[in-house]
Amino acid sequence: MTEVRKPVQDLLTDYDIFEPEFVKDPYPSFSEIRESGCPIARTERYEGSWLPTRYEDVVAIAQEYETFTSRGILVVPPFPGQGEGAYGGVTAPPITSDPPDHHWHRRLILPVFSPQSVAKFEQGTRDLCNALIDEVIDKGTADAAADYAQHIPVRVIATLLGVPLEMEADFTAWVRAALENILDAEGRKWARKNIIEFFLAQVAERKQNPREDDFITELMNTEVEGKVVPIEYVLGVCNLMLVAGVDTTWSAIGSCMWHMAQHPEHRKQLRENPDLWPTAIEELLRMYAPVTMARIVDHDVEFQGCPMKAGDRVLMAFPAANRDPRQFENPDEVILDREHNRHVAFGSGIHRCAGSNLARLEVRVALQTWLERIPEFELVDKTDVTWAGGQVHGPRKCLVSF
Amino acid sequence: MCAIAAPEVFGSDEMGNATVLIDGDIPAELQAKTRRAESNCPERAIVITD
Repeated sequence: MTEVRKPVQDLLTDYDIFEPEFVKDPYPSFSEIRESGCPIARTERYEGSWLPTRYEDVVAIAQEYETFTSRGILVVPPFPGQGEGAYGGVTAPPITSDPPDHHWHRRLILPVFSPQSVAKFEQGTRDLCNALIDEVIDKGTADAAADYAQHIPVRVIATLLGVPLEMEADFTAWVRAALENILDAEGRKWARKNIIEFFLAQVAERKQNPREDDFITELMNTEVEGKVVPIEYVLGVCNLMLVAGVDTTWSAIGSCMWHMAQHPEHRKQLRENPDLWPTAIEELLRMYAPVTMARIVDHDVEFQGCPMKAGDRVLMAFPAANRDPRQFENPDEVILDREHNRHVAFGSGIHRCAGSNLARLEVRVALQTWLERIPEFELVDKTDVTWAGGQVHGPRKCLVSF
Repeated sequence: MCAIAAPEVFGSDEMGNATVLIDGDIPAELQAKTRRAESNCPERAIVITD
């Protein structure tokens, strides 16, 4: 984008989630909005949106799906021509689904993400993390984001989907164009075309040669109410799993690594109390929740005094909700053994992240493996970390030395 | 999440929905974990009655 960004005059009426300082660290802005007289900010940028920052409001919006629909869940509008063409109808079920279809859209993918199912990925993920560490351990320095975090979720999800791991670089490029560089309409179009064409080919191949114990084969042959599911559903689910399974999780891993590089006391705490890991992961997820999801307002409604119109975009800023002092004591502090942590890093309600068990496993294994092999490490230069923002917040360059 | 916080108390079915593994009262040594599971459930699905 080469247009000059108009500076933000007033956060409450003109926030800009792509403004560089906001991208780097949105939390001070969230705080300012949350504690103002108007905790739901408004902007006309990017065709307009609302930004609730209080836990109670974000959760209410997530729960009220009849008012706040999932026909649009990205933080910016669709790119021109998105719904057109042969596969224009392909969306990303269940994340883009509303009841009643939402129910079966979600039900069909839940089993692959159950705790028992995801447990199968523990050893493979650990082996992958060790292999990545092997590449860097003698160098004394590495990019925790680009050399480590970035490679983990894409390979795990490729394994789950039964697609070639050698295509890691392509998958990564498509996902970044679809979600990270979300203001680049040409990039989004390119990514979508590639993703749909790729999965069309995957489906066609499995029609010829069905595979045993294969997610896509099983999905394509599933029946709902006596009929095989539509191809658009299969393509949409694959689209979602690739994009949602990758950018989000590597952002979470990257943020946790960024944190651990700066907090030797937390590394020590985990070394001395390994029982703390599950609670610690939840606390890190609370603190560094990567994802903001949007909703489209179904009908004119006054919500907490805000006059929302049908078609308005509302940004459910889960990262902001997770720092609300009304819900969390000392919200901006990582307390690894935090007792009360009803965080919404994975959302809340009927759309709560279906992949959360897998995400938790990946974050835990990534951190555990690194800390076992490289217990002491630090940021090379705190001012030289780059961040992605918009829909997903996480480091993209994070040099550490050890 | 509850299955991680208190695996003796909560299991999960093939859909990933939580199941309760213990019939009757929660034993004393599992109560702290059970309370943690309750206070962390994002859906407020766990209700503890004393």
